[in-house]
Amino acid sequence: MSERVEFEPKMVAFVCNWCTYLGADLAGTTRLEYPPNVRIIRLPCTGRIDFNLIIKAFEIGADSVLVSGCHPGDCHYTSGNYHARRRWILFRELLQTLGFDLERIHFTWISAAEGHKWQQVVKEITEKTRKLGPYTDLYQISGNSASPFPLPIRGGGSNTVPLPTWGGEGVGALRETCRRLLAEEKVKVVIGYGKRGPVFVTRPEDVEQLVWNSQCLTNLTVYLKRKEIRALGRPAIVVKGCDERALVVLEKESQIDRKEMRVIGVVCETMGQAKCATCDVHIPRFADEVIGEVDKHPALTGERWKSLEALLALPPAGRMAYWAREFERCVRCYACRQACPMCYCERCLVEKNRPTVIEPSPTAKGNFAWHILRAFHLAGRCVGCDECTRACPAGIDLRLLNLCLAKAAEEHFAYRAGMDPKAEPLIGTYSLQDKENFIR
Amino acid sequence: MSGTISRQALRELVSEWIGQGKRVAGPRQVKPGCVLYAPLESSAQLALEGFIRPANSVKEFVFPKHEELYGYRITGNGIELTEVEQPAGEQVLMAARPCDAASLPILDHVFNWDYKDELYNRRRQLTTVVTLACAAHDDACFCTSVGLGPAAERGSDAMLLELGGGEYEVRCLTDKGKALFDSRLPASERVASIPSGPEKRFDAEAVQSFVKEHFDSPFWPLQTLACLGCGACAYTCPTCHCFDIVDEGNIERGVRARNWDSCQFTMFTLHASGHNPRPNQPARQRQRIDHKFHVYPEKFGEILCTGCGNCARNCPVGMGVLRVLAEIDHAQHLPARPDESR
Repeated sequence: MSERVEFEPKMVAFVCNWCTYLGADLAGTTRLEYPPNVRIIRLPCTGRIDFNLIIKAFEIGADSVLVSGCHPGDCHYTSGNYHARRRWILFRELLQTLGFDLERIHFTWISAAEGHKWQQVVKEITEKTRKLGPYTDLYQISGNSASPFPLPIRGGGSNTVPLPTWGGEGVGALRETCRRLLAEEKVKVVIGYGKRGPVFVTRPEDVEQLVWNSQCLTNLTVYLKRKEIRALGRPAIVVKGCDERALVVLEKESQIDRKEMRVIGVVCETMGQAKCATCDVHIPRFADEVIGEVDKHPALTGERWKSLEALLALPPAGRMAYWAREFERCVRCYACRQACPMCYCERCLVEKNRPTVIEPSPTAKGNFAWHILRAFHLAGRCVGCDECTRACPAGIDLRLLNLCLAKAAEEHFAYRAGMDPKAEPLIGTYSLQDKENFIR
Repeated sequence: MSGTISRQALRELVSEWIGQGKRVAGPRQVKPGCVLYAPLESSAQLALEGFIRPANSVKEFVFPKHEELYGYRITGNGIELTEVEQPAGEQVLMAARPCDAASLPILDHVFNWDYKDELYNRRRQLTTVVTLACAAHDDACFCTSVGLGPAAERGSDAMLLELGGGEYEVRCLTDKGKALFDSRLPASERVASIPSGPEKRFDAEAVQSFVKEHFDSPFWPLQTLACLGCGACAYTCPTCHCFDIVDEGNIERGVRARNWDSCQFTMFTLHASGHNPRPNQPARQRQRIDHKFHVYPEKFGEILCTGCGNCARNCPVGMGVLRVLAEIDHAQHLPARPDESR
């Protein structure tokens, strides 16, 4: 007898208290038989089901996962399932990019009266999982997976861009503007770029420290939330078109008050980064003052998904192997988080240790959990400044995870973070019209 | 003992070591534009030129980023402890930079001070370090300022120096080094010239006295405003060695493990009461410099820095110890007004 025949799939079902749990209960009381392979975990509402739970279920040995709640319109809490639907649409895309086997992740709406549907669903998923076999690909670097990106075996190329050689051309107007703002006491500090990185200029005579060149990469909006910087007083901040998108999101999330700062936009055609090739915001759109000139914004092209598409062309196990190999290098220095203007929580979830939510260990498990958390908490919020990727000392292409969620937000909800100050945030809101094709 | 070896023969030797079951780690291009010290699966993966130094350090081969200390099982009667597997098997750190090799004897102090760290010592014992002298340096390098140099022999078991024409002079410095190259080296009279190192950037003693005397100076907040509070500097530093102990498991069993930690994190000094003795980033940056150039030297007689410059290269906002140290050096030469030094 082969092992395959002995395999009994393990399935975890996260269900809501009001509909699906009662549906399952009904199946029991009406003596409907269904496979005992399912372990039910009852939660108040699908809107309350944390995405980490799916990951955790797989980590502890589940072969498939079911998430089930009330039909749209039936939620006990009015809208929990609408929020859940929107979140699952995005989260599924992230899991797909990471190489999770979507054949093993199921979503259904089952009401309290649908004991038969519950029976049917559990039967079908169990059979399907039985056919798929045990889930062994999780976090595995399998031998047969070629990387979508060419990896030269040994290097002719230089290690890193040599240390920035900072120059300073064409900064006259920038310095003059900042000098004026400081001299007229419109602001107390200018957050700008200096020769060796960000500088905080507080005196008009110090504006000579400001430069503008191809090394002005940092998204300075990250400093707006820092206590030490806030203590300096009312700021003026130098932004590029891409950085400015962060201001829009921060304001929408009530993190900053635009009236309490001056925004100095600098026209930027390229900084030579990956993001620049497909950038369509060369001119800051909402800045109080704009320095520099350029004809117009280039058109938005589909080219921006190109690197993501190369990854998605791999089979799921190949994608997972790619990420497992990348995350193997992660040391959990959290440079990705600290460099991100959107990561402003005073205490990150990964720092909660009573109990631990995300394992802080740089193991395959801990690193996958961390990067899933980081990416998904930025869903619909990431403005694509790529600072996380630039900050990573291990060269992990975090950009791809952000891109996959940005693409999902655009395709499913026609939403681009930080583009429209009037648009409601993607997560935290919902629409009755949200469309998906995977919930049965 | 000294000899000459060609690049080809060197690669063959690496293959041989791998074939013998040794774990060989060395600079490896993990992706375009990114060379890291990593275990080598074949000698072809060894990157020997075209970069200044890997973006990480060799410390993770003696002090891994995650290490299980022991396992536990919760039984009906109490807790049962289980041993973890001891590190076994020799490893060779190939083509390490002198600034990496020098970090190992510095780390030995702290892992053998009040407590002898068995796991560290065991790994250290199993490790042979073959250093490749630096032929080039960049703006971030400052080994000469901390008493080392592009061909410093400290911590190396053998050293390779470029002779040109794809050949290296091999200097076997210890028995371990000799054993590794064994009879594979035809004796040679050829002696490589010592490459020039970076210019001296600061006076280490002056820095020590400055940090000792300027604990509460406004110098720190001024110099460290840009710091984002990530651990990129500490985690790529060959000498930073702080770790955190965690228990990971479920209600039945688990492991106690240690993970790297960094003094740049808010959580590093956060008390259970909510009080944090290092409440802001300037205090945490000061701690990093203070520990490296004042506390450690006072305790162990040497600086906790080898001048590799990884902190500067890896800092997302262009900081790193060199920038702060150069400012300290600058401030030292000013008449007692460190708050004005920018």
